[in-house]
Amino acid sequence: MDAHAAQHAIAATPAFSSQPEDLAWFILLLPLIAAASIAFGVRRSSFLSSTLSISATVVAFFLSIALFLAFGVGGYPAVTSPFNWIHVGGLQVDLGVTVDRLSVLMLLIVTGVSSLVQIYSTAYLKGDPGLSRYFGSISLFTFSMLGIVLADNLVMMFVFWELVGVSSYLLIGFWFDKPSAADAAKKAFLTNRLGDFGFMLGILVVWSATGSVQFTQIGNVLGGNPGALGGLASIAGLLIFCGAMGKSAQFPLHVWLPDAMEGPTPVSALIHAATMVAAGVYMLCRAFVLFQAPGAWPAHLWFLGNISALDIIALIGGFTALLAALIAFQQDDIKRILAYSTLSQLGYMVMAVGCGGPDAAMYHLTTHAGFKALLFLGAGAVIHACHHEQNIWKMGGLWKRLPITFRTFVIGTAALAGFPILTSGFYSKDAILVAALDGGHPVLFGLGVLVASFTTFYMLRLVIVAFFGPYRSEAASHAHEAPIAMTWPLITLAIPSIAVAWFGLGDYLSSHFNPHFHAHEGGGLFGPFNHAPLAAVFGSGALLFGATAAFGLYWGADSDPLPARLGLLGRAMRNRFYFDEIYEGIFVPMHDMLGRLFGAVDRWVVSGLGIRGTHGSVELFGRALRLLQTGNLQTYTFLFAAGVAVVVFVATK
Amino acid sequence: MSLSQLLLTPFAGALLVLLVPGNYRVVHRFIALVTSAITAIGAISIFAGFKTGVAGMQFEEYAAWVPAAGFGYHLGVDGMNIGLVLMASLVGFAATCVSWDIERQPKLFYILLLTMIGGSLGAFLSLDLFFLYFFNELALVPTFIMMGVWGRGENRNYATFQITLYLTLGALIGLSGLALLYSQSGANTLDWVTLKVWLADKPLSSHAQNLILPLLLLGFGTLVGLFPFHSWAAPGYAAAPSATAMMHAGVLKKVGLYVLLRVAIPFFPESMNHWATPLAVLAMGNVLYCGWVALRQRDLYLLLGNSSLAHMGFCFLGLAAAGVIGVTGVVLIMVAHGLLAALSFGLVGHLTKATGSSDLDRLGGLLKTFPFVGGALIMAFLAGCGVPGFANFTGELTVLFGAWKSFPVFVIAAAWGGLIIGGVYMLRAIRDLLHGPLREGSVKSGDAGPWRRVPFLVLLAALIYFGVNPASLVDRITPTAERIAGTRTATATTTHATAAVTSHAAH
Repeated sequence: MDAHAAQHAIAATPAFSSQPEDLAWFILLLPLIAAASIAFGVRRSSFLSSTLSISATVVAFFLSIALFLAFGVGGYPAVTSPFNWIHVGGLQVDLGVTVDRLSVLMLLIVTGVSSLVQIYSTAYLKGDPGLSRYFGSISLFTFSMLGIVLADNLVMMFVFWELVGVSSYLLIGFWFDKPSAADAAKKAFLTNRLGDFGFMLGILVVWSATGSVQFTQIGNVLGGNPGALGGLASIAGLLIFCGAMGKSAQFPLHVWLPDAMEGPTPVSALIHAATMVAAGVYMLCRAFVLFQAPGAWPAHLWFLGNISALDIIALIGGFTALLAALIAFQQDDIKRILAYSTLSQLGYMVMAVGCGGPDAAMYHLTTHAGFKALLFLGAGAVIHACHHEQNIWKMGGLWKRLPITFRTFVIGTAALAGFPILTSGFYSKDAILVAALDGGHPVLFGLGVLVASFTTFYMLRLVIVAFFGPYRSEAASHAHEAPIAMTWPLITLAIPSIAVAWFGLGDYLSSHFNPHFHAHEGGGLFGPFNHAPLAAVFGSGALLFGATAAFGLYWGADSDPLPARLGLLGRAMRNRFYFDEIYEGIFVPMHDMLGRLFGAVDRWVVSGLGIRGTHGSVELFGRALRLLQTGNLQTYTFLFAAGVAVVVFVATK
Repeated sequence: MSLSQLLLTPFAGALLVLLVPGNYRVVHRFIALVTSAITAIGAISIFAGFKTGVAGMQFEEYAAWVPAAGFGYHLGVDGMNIGLVLMASLVGFAATCVSWDIERQPKLFYILLLTMIGGSLGAFLSLDLFFLYFFNELALVPTFIMMGVWGRGENRNYATFQITLYLTLGALIGLSGLALLYSQSGANTLDWVTLKVWLADKPLSSHAQNLILPLLLLGFGTLVGLFPFHSWAAPGYAAAPSATAMMHAGVLKKVGLYVLLRVAIPFFPESMNHWATPLAVLAMGNVLYCGWVALRQRDLYLLLGNSSLAHMGFCFLGLAAAGVIGVTGVVLIMVAHGLLAALSFGLVGHLTKATGSSDLDRLGGLLKTFPFVGGALIMAFLAGCGVPGFANFTGELTVLFGAWKSFPVFVIAAAWGGLIIGGVYMLRAIRDLLHGPLREGSVKSGDAGPWRRVPFLVLLAALIYFGVNPASLVDRITPTAERIAGTRTATATTTHATAAVTSHAAH
């Protein structure tokens, strides 16, 4: 943020003078009002609940467009913190909003995708008795997510962070009487909690080093003195990153996201593909100033040299991208394939942040939100048509039966694979590959290219198996296209998957992070091939390679030829590299063991200190017990009077 | 409403119930409900009328009682107790509501309950420590009787005995500390306001501080369930009738903390410096040990009891840190936890009554049958594991910030205890109790009707109000917290300065 902007931010602090940024409060509060009205008012009518929830989000979307035009396009960043939340001593937390290029873009994504998903849900969940609860939770989620987007300080971000976790918990567990859904909800919440634990500590470290939790002020402190975090710089960055590790499901906290697919499919589209899981990446970009501090470690960790938090973040992101893509190779559940693909793409974005390219990460976040929501909603339409069959090997031939779903799904797949020139995914993926090259991470660049070809491979496997070939089940042969409330959002989401829709977004974001940014000469559709040909050519090559392999293996195949060829590796892939088993084998029993141990100690030792002790004291207490058990008031009165007597005695001594 | 009127209302109610003959059951209920409602409304109006940003006592009242011994009837509210008074009255009202269908000897039950409410209000309102102690005892005795007579479960007698023994002994040890404070200060009074002025001028000698503070910590710590003197709590609440558990876990237990805040921090600054680390270690005993014990519990009451002890650990950590942020955080948690404990015990009481069991292994899938109670209980469980939006989060957050600079390692442990261990047992409880398929034949009666929801809605509303708008509480607490914590900081600095001078002279 440049000096002018900072000045403006300060000038804008005494609020309630109805400046354009105050619109942000309306956007934030509309879904909350909807959620509260559903909870306390109209929950008996699912029609009213859905109408209320959808209209609140749609209005918020249009307000976001207004805000985008005011601030995103050539506007100034503004921070308003009009409400005192906690002011005590050195802890000063205000309820404030940040309105800048980053947040208005994110507002558009959240309200836009949320509107479409909710409209889709009216058809997808038609007749479900919990529909009001569903829309209440979705509204609560939208509110919390908007809170993360707008938060101007770390504590508020943490607050909404947790609330997003709660609403995600409620939505994964929407069908709570199903044990698998209830378990998945619990697992998601607790895994996220592990990340939040680190996030909380990170906030404490940053607060004690800079004296503030507010982004602008932290930025000012670190701007004046980049070494303000001292030897804790890298650790602070990593702790804050822990939060992102949970929400954006990065290794080793990635295990919750695939299970979260137990929730209704529209929820997966909104929360576990487009928005909540992107919150981690957004947070890294929002707090990017923290990561720009030079890496430093406490004295006894000297051997880590000047490895910065970003280096480790880049590695974790890259590793997650690869790991998840490998697992996606061998999944048969359509939603799980998409879930692992989401993990992999999030790893991509995190890697981009780590390589020093938050603009590239945000770019990919934006395009990914569109096409991944599209793919999930498409998968929902398929599942809906096939009577809740989720196994791709029991689908087949659907392209004839579901023409709209098929076409939009292919567009989404092309965008995810990064089909050159035509799709948005190509440009954002290219930005990440360029960031890896520019950041001096050739290995991660190579890894990125590899993952790109894997992505094409597993997505084409999904498309070929599910949509082509013969009908592989009774359900598939009777599939019918979804109603208009479901196809219409699919078509709408297909638009931003096409390249031109996001034209100029890269420059928009780059100038947010770098005020001195100048757009490249010779941009346009072929821009990537002009100014960074290496990345563009390798990216396109990866696509070609992945596509060839997928067609070669799966076109016309009756069953998966890979397990036979991959052997042990394939088995590990199918079993998600056994991470769940490892965690359940180590962490859960560890806590349980401690609980068991202390439970026993508590029953036998600590109680014994006071009560059981020796035989003699048991006798004594037994007698006292009988005395007290008379339950008569005289005894108590006597004891009480004795107490008073002691006081008076000491007092008058 | 004046503070005396507020204090007298529940006692007047108790007296009225006493006067109405035993067979007019509806009248007893009605009197109890109305008086506790008036108390709650009065407390709300006093809370609303309390000026923020002011450090001194407000609504003060004084009448000499035994001038020779310096005892006086002295009431007043400042940042330390204004929130507690509100909390106690709201919990008192809720506890009276959930006691609507007490079958056995309702007359005596209501007399005891109203005495408990009045006693705990008196303890928070009294500025003379003698009266504070008196009112605390006055509220404790009904606790024991109610457990013994209206309690539940097989372990009732043993639990009653244990809690009586622990709390009586704890109170006596605390009392001896107060008595020593009286004799050692030379102020010839236990009036807090006078003592504060007096001791600011003539602080207690180090010897006296080191003699008295351990007694206070041990005695009043036991009343709160400080590790390892906590084993009375969980079985006690399991055996107590709902209203008693709500009043004790929610309100009465806070008296011990309140005394430590009021007395230990400002009057024993040197000794508190000395005891801060051991206290923080014991606090970890509460957070981690009791948290792990809670992890193993399959009985809802034992789970809630241990979780409540874990929350008290945060209070002790804040006490040990003792800065203005820490002290404010402790008061926030006390208010929040009071509301939450009452809410949880009340809701679980409803479920236990409706299903005949509090065993997590026998229950399951109750949310479908109990949409309101189950939903509210989910909110309570989430609040209990520190989800923002509820007042408990702001309290725990503030304590973490307040203790970070003095005890970073303990803060890490406490955050683990609150976020992870707390999360695990609370979510497990939701999963096992409310989610999943409904167990056949476990439900005898249904969800709470519209009127039965009132107490729970009141408590939830307060929890959410203070969770969303903590400033309404913080701005009332902070000015007083600055004064109370300021004593210690000032002394700590002087001690350092003196030490520096001494070491300088030695060279």
